Amino acid sequence: MPKILIPTPLRQFAGGNDAVDAAGATIGECLEALTTQHPDLRKNLFNDEGKLRSFVNIYLNDEDIRYLSKTGTAVKDSDTISIVPSIAGGR
Amino acid sequence: MIKIDKSAWDIMLAHARACYPRECCGTMLGTEENGVRSVKIARPMRNAFEGAQEDTYVLDPQEQLAVEKEARAQGLSVVGIFHSHPDCDAYFSKRDLENSCPWYSFVVLSIKNGEFDHANSFLPNFDQTEAPKEPLEY
Repeated sequence: MPKILIPTPLRQFAGGNDAVDAAGATIGECLEALTTQHPDLRKNLFNDEGKLRSFVNIYLNDEDIRYLSKTGTAVKDSDTISIVPSIAGGR
Repeated sequence: MIKIDKSAWDIMLAHARACYPRECCGTMLGTEENGVRSVKIARPMRNAFEGAQEDTYVLDPQEQLAVEKEARAQGLSVVGIFHSHPDCDAYFSKRDLENSCPWYSFVVLSIKNGEFDHANSFLPNFDQTEAPKEPLEY
């Protein structure tokens, strides 16, 4: 099943795991499986409306899902999903 | 609290000076134990903002993916992000806050007339409404 890589600061909310196998046919289903297994992750990834937080980007292998089909992007068992924070700023 | 090894700090300073008067940015790799982040490696990154970089920086997500892979391979973690403020103080601006992430320490380096002046580290909250300072050693 697809594997989700967990960034270090979030591992404390994922049972200390650096990666979690998450069943699903789409990115959205895999993220749902992840946060069902580890509910404390939900606040980190989703806002109160259940949408991905503005600073959370999701990559399927090396591709940003915003340029695929977003959370509806289809996944295969061999895929790796990464959580990459969106970071910018300026004085 | 965040402690930055001299070798990493020197790389951060060199990158900030080299990019002046543009904003630099990069990632800090290290460990975290008992609430203390220890930075072992600094990775300068390209500023991916396509406009004037004197007052804006954007991290390149592809570089972030690569740095995350490097950290995993070395048994380290991405613990923080750094960027510079050319010719102004090392505060956490409204735009810094609105484009931050609560998972990391954010170190800001003030570079004035091309030289390092001072630095601060900040810990933004989930709602991107506050970023209190944290103790910084370098």
